[in-house]
Amino acid sequence: MTSPVIKYVGRTTNFKGKTLWEIVGSLKNYGVGRIIVRSVFQRYSEPSFMKIIKVETCPDEERRRVRVWVEKTFRGRKLPNLTEIYKTSYKPDYNLIPKDEEAKLFESAKIYEKLPEAILPNAIEMPPLMKKFIVKDHEKKGLETIKEFVMPIAYNHSPNRVHRIAKGDEKPTVQFTMSLGKPVSPSLYEGIQLQ
Amino acid sequence: MIPKNLFLKRSCPLIMQIAETHRKPRWLPVAKSKIYRIPKRPEVSEEERLELLRINNNYKTQMRAIRRFYHEEMINEKSSLQSASSEMSQQLEADEWEKCVQINEKWNAQVAAEREQRRKIELAAMEDYALKRIEAKDKEFKGRIARASAEIRREKELSSTFITPDNLEAAIDHALANPVDYNYAIDLRGNIVSGRDTPIVKPEKKDQAVA
Repeated sequence: MTSPVIKYVGRTTNFKGKTLWEIVGSLKNYGVGRIIVRSVFQRYSEPSFMKIIKVETCPDEERRRVRVWVEKTFRGRKLPNLTEIYKTSYKPDYNLIPKDEEAKLFESAKIYEKLPEAILPNAIEMPPLMKKFIVKDHEKKGLETIKEFVMPIAYNHSPNRVHRIAKGDEKPTVQFTMSLGKPVSPSLYEGIQLQ
Repeated sequence: MIPKNLFLKRSCPLIMQIAETHRKPRWLPVAKSKIYRIPKRPEVSEEERLELLRINNNYKTQMRAIRRFYHEEMINEKSSLQSASSEMSQQLEADEWEKCVQINEKWNAQVAAEREQRRKIELAAMEDYALKRIEAKDKEFKGRIARASAEIRREKELSSTFITPDNLEAAIDHALANPVDYNYAIDLRGNIVSGRDTPIVKPEKKDQAVA
């Protein structure tokens, strides 16, 4: 007997896995206590996984969805509150972790808990043209000239935020500059003189 | 649609810009020939992807900071303007209002004077027109009365010859006594020969009679 040939048709996708209901619906006790992962979050080097705490099924109109509360560990950091998965539960991107691999996953997450916290700066230096503009602008408006050319950084707020934002005069461990910065892949800049 | 090459291939090419979208309208479905087309995913090397990610993240952070800075500045300016406008600007506003009212009144007076003058002229014109119409009507009435009286006079004159019950008998007698025969004949010279039973006169005698 020859093995069946699988031929994929249509557009490719980044998703890899099953919908949450496909996984949870076929497990004993709806898979409470089991570990699932979103495959798109596997792109981070830190482990991200979710432990199922509670499952609620949905009415017939929402066949592809299921309401699940999980204990979420995102990029090695465990969120303090339970997370509800409902809107994204239809995405065919969930994978179940076999029971024998769970311990390994927990072990890998422990390393990141011990690492020192990354602190993001809350201010950034102004770009060079803006500095000159601001001086003129303040002169024109009769305001006092500013000495420090820094402005606060705006961050998007999300419960998934891994790095902490510096409070007050806290010293950040990461620095953002207005320049090009240090390239990640120096091979792309071969023969070009960077400042 | 005009092909663009038409203009480019001319001996003297027209320099013109054609504003047209080079695509189907959005509300049409996918073209038949493109239904089963699967666009190829762009292949970006890992190095390039990471570098682009870093650069774009950097750029977004910088732009967010700048945007926030100017947004806050705008809000500050607004609030400072509002607080400054509490007393100073109220006085200023009141003065401004006073000024506006005065100007408005001045304009109103000016317009009123102009309107008065215009109304006078209009009234005079209207009176003139009405008087003219009255005169014309009078004239017409007078003419009508004159015509009517002339008619009456003529009829009165004619009425003396009317046949009334009084003179009916006399009229009948008169008519019977003088029968009128409207039959007549005309010869070549235009002589009228009246009556039916008039004897034919010889031409020689006729010539003498005429002479």
